Formats: sequence, C-alpha cells, structure tokens
Amino acid sequence: MMYMMYFLLFGLVLGLAAVASNPSPYFAALGLVVVAGIGCGVLIWHGGSFLSLILFLIYLGGMLVVFAYSAALAAEPYPEGWGSWPVLGLMLGYLLGVVSVGTLFSSSMYDESWMVCDEFGEFYFVRGDMEGVATLYSSGGFMLAMGVWVLLVTLFVVLELTRGMSRGTLRAV
Amino acid sequence: MNPYILTILLFAMGLGTTITFASSHWLLAWMGLEINTLAILPLMCQSHHPRAVEATIKYFLTQATAAAMLLFASITNAWITGQWNLEFMSYSLPTTLVTVALALKIGLAPLHAWMPEVLQGLDLTTGLILSTWQKLAPFCLLLQINPSNTSLLLILGLASTLVGGWGGLNQNQLRKILAYSSIAHLGWMILVLQFFPSLTLLTLLMYFVMTFSLFISFKVNNSTTINSLSMSWSKTPIISSMVPFILLSLGGLPPLSGFMPKWLILQELTKQSLAPLATLAALSALLSLYFYLRISYAMTLTMSPNTLLNALPWRLPSNQHTLPLAITTSLTICLLPLTPAITALLTL
Repeated sequence: MMYMMYFLLFGLVLGLAAVASNPSPYFAALGLVVVAGIGCGVLIWHGGSFLSLILFLIYLGGMLVVFAYSAALAAEPYPEGWGSWPVLGLMLGYLLGVVSVGTLFSSSMYDESWMVCDEFGEFYFVRGDMEGVATLYSSGGFMLAMGVWVLLVTLFVVLELTRGMSRGTLRAV
Repeated sequence: MNPYILTILLFAMGLGTTITFASSHWLLAWMGLEINTLAILPLMCQSHHPRAVEATIKYFLTQATAAAMLLFASITNAWITGQWNLEFMSYSLPTTLVTVALALKIGLAPLHAWMPEVLQGLDLTTGLILSTWQKLAPFCLLLQINPSNTSLLLILGLASTLVGGWGGLNQNQLRKILAYSSIAHLGWMILVLQFFPSLTLLTLLMYFVMTFSLFISFKVNNSTTINSLSMSWSKTPIISSMVPFILLSLGGLPPLSGFMPKWLILQELTKQSLAPLATLAALSALLSLYFYLRISYAMTLTMSPNTLLNALPWRLPSNQHTLPLAITTSLTICLLPLTPAITALLTL
C-alpha cells in the first residue's frame, strides 16, 4: 500500500518537474496529463473519489483536450523536449532542488506512514467531497451565483483580449 | 471599447474589491483579488499597442504568481490549523508567505521590479487605477493578518522607501517616476503596519488623494515625459503653479498635507524605540524629494527657451473635467491642520 503511495507521489513530482522544464507546450501538456492522472490517484487514496472523477473528466477530458488542439494549431514547428540538453539539464536541476529541499525539511522517510487513514469513528453515508458539492448548490447558492458571474466576466475578458484578429492585442490571433 | 464591456469590467473591478473587503474566509479573499486582476486586463491593453500588451502580460504574470502564493499559504494554514479565517493565522510559515504574496501584489521592494515597467506601458488613467484602486484589496488583507515576524515588515518597508527613492532618480519618464513614488509610499505604509494600522490606512488614503492629483495634472497636460511638461506654463498656468505643491506634498514637506502621514509614522516608530529606523526612513524620503523637485523645476520654476509663438498659445476653454483635480489638489495642499480629526476618524 505504501509502495503504491510512494509511486504516485514520486510520479507527481516527476510530472511537475516535466511540466516546469519543457519550453514546448506539447511536452508540457503531456506532463500535465501525467500529473493530473496521478493527482487523481492520490485524491482517490485520500477519499475524494467524486472529485477525482470530475478532475479527470473536466480537466483532462475537457480543458486539456481543448488546449492540446489550440496548441497543435498555434505552437512551434520544432518543439524541444528532453532530447535537447538545456531542457534535460533544467529538469535535473528542478529534481535536484526538490530532493535537497526535501532532505532539508523532512526528518525521515520511514518515521511515519505515507498512507492516509480515511475513516471516522462512525460510518458515513456520503463522502466529504460529494457533500461539499451538494452544499455548494444548496446553502452556498450565493457563492455559486458569484462564481457563475465571475466566469461570465472571464469570458468577456478573454473575448476582449483576443478581439481584432492580428490588428488587436494578440498578433497571433 | 464597447461601453457595455467597459461597464461590466468596471463593475467587476468594484465587485472584486468589495468581495475582498467583505471576506473573512481566505478563499473568498483570493477570489476577490483574482476578479480584480482579470477585470483590469482588457482595460490595460485597450490601445492594442505592443507596449501596452507587454505591460498587461507582465502584470498578469506577477499578479497570478502572487495569488497562487496566497492560495498556497491559506491552504497550508487550513492544513495546520483546520480553519480558513483571515484573522486567526497563528503559524509563522503561512503568515510569512501571505505577507510576501501581498508584497508582490502591491509592489513592495524587493518584489517591485514589475511596477515601473507595467506603469510605463499604460496610459495615465489606467495607471492611476492600477496605482490606487488595485492597492485597496491587498491592503485590506494586510491590515487584518497578525504579522508573524516583526523584522519582515520593517525590512520590506525600509527597502521600499530606499528603492523608491534611488530608483526614481535617473528617470525622465513620468510614469516610471510615479511608479517609484508609489513604491516609496507603500514602504512608508508597511513600516507602521504592525504598530499602528490606522496610520497605514491614513497614509494609503492620503497617497490616493496626492497621486490622483498628480496623475490627473499630467493627464490634463497630456505629457508623459518631463520634457513635455516644460511648456505647460503657457497652456495651463494655474495647474502649473499648483503642481509643485502637489509634488512637495508627495515628498512630505510641511505645511502640506503629505507631511501628515510621515510625521505620524515617525512619531509612532520613535515611540516603539525604533528611532534609527525612523531616521533612515526620513533620510530616504530625501531621495524621492529630489526627483519631485526636478519635475517641479522643469515644469514651473524654469521657463525653457522656446519660440514666441509656442509661448503664447490660445487658451481655449477646455473640455476636460477638472473638478476632481481641483478637489484633490485642495486636499493635497490644505489638509494638515485637520490631522487630529483625521486620525480620530481613522482609528480602527
């Protein structure tokens, strides 16, 4: 069990370093897919199965797919991945930084268990994450309306920023 | 810009600050800050000029980084203490991270590097909104958190006053001078934050009034460099005669109202046995005073050589609405005798 958690968390950090070190959006988005997938696994181990499902469907299956299509249309013709030395050096540098900060701040890897105990004293019918979503729609109704309004404003902001078709703000549009 | 879009964006900016003002939950405070950041982006790149777009991108990146740091700090605080309240942060790591994140948001030294470049890429009105309205929400949060480390805020404050003074010395672009002036004033506000928070609020409001007058005076003259201010005496003689007072008020000279916050802050620092710090801060105000004096020298105290025709323009009635300028200029010059009343009003 702990080995599974080790695997997931190490993969998370590796994917994070991959996202940060790649200058090309193709490989960075690939790292993002790996990170999101492993993050969903970690989330499930901590008890948030519904949230993990939503993350997979909406984040990976919605937003990242749209980003991949946009990047395929708009980004560079000669992407640099880990094959070129600067990118690989950056990746190793980030991993070195993580390892050094980790050894600086942690006492030991073996003192405490990395597995999470996800039960209360009594038996619950609903999990925390599902109940949270339900609360958002009931007593958190005002915040839901605020969130909706903010998303609409974000849409207007993005449309205003990309208006103009190369005479406008972004010449690449 | 489409007036409906402008209305929505300005409404969103008001909404963001209001949400942060009204919040006691970290997530809500973060949400208000993000709404403010998002809503000002189209206003910043209205002119679709590459310089303005560059300023917008720089602003977005720094504000997003600061908001992400704020989110990390609040989540760490929730992890350690189990609650999300603003006022009850008792552990030093989240509190320090929040302070640094808010310092990046408002542009305190040593996290100030984005400020001159961003302000330089904007027109004067948008720069004014950036310098005044966008500082309200982070200051509201700074006023509410318990500072973890005494010296962090003092170092941020002193560094900001020094950097604001030294950085502005070699500039002849007015917007960069205004940026460094903003950094210096923010340094003064942070210096006294943990001792007497009402003085921070007083300094913030006085700074708003003074910098509003200066921005609008420059806008009326339609000038963004010191050189272009040199002929303002013939076009707007009254404004040219008032601007040195505004500048000296920003520099903190008595009997102008800019002296009020500096005086009260120096008094409070001395009461807290920080007299050497108070001396250093007062000396750093001299640096800022130099470039304020340089602007007033170029604008009012000197008549630059020019042809006779340029020196005698027709003074046609202007369409600019200068009533706000008149009000804030009067406040900038004459408010010092009301110091006790203002301090009593603003004591939290």
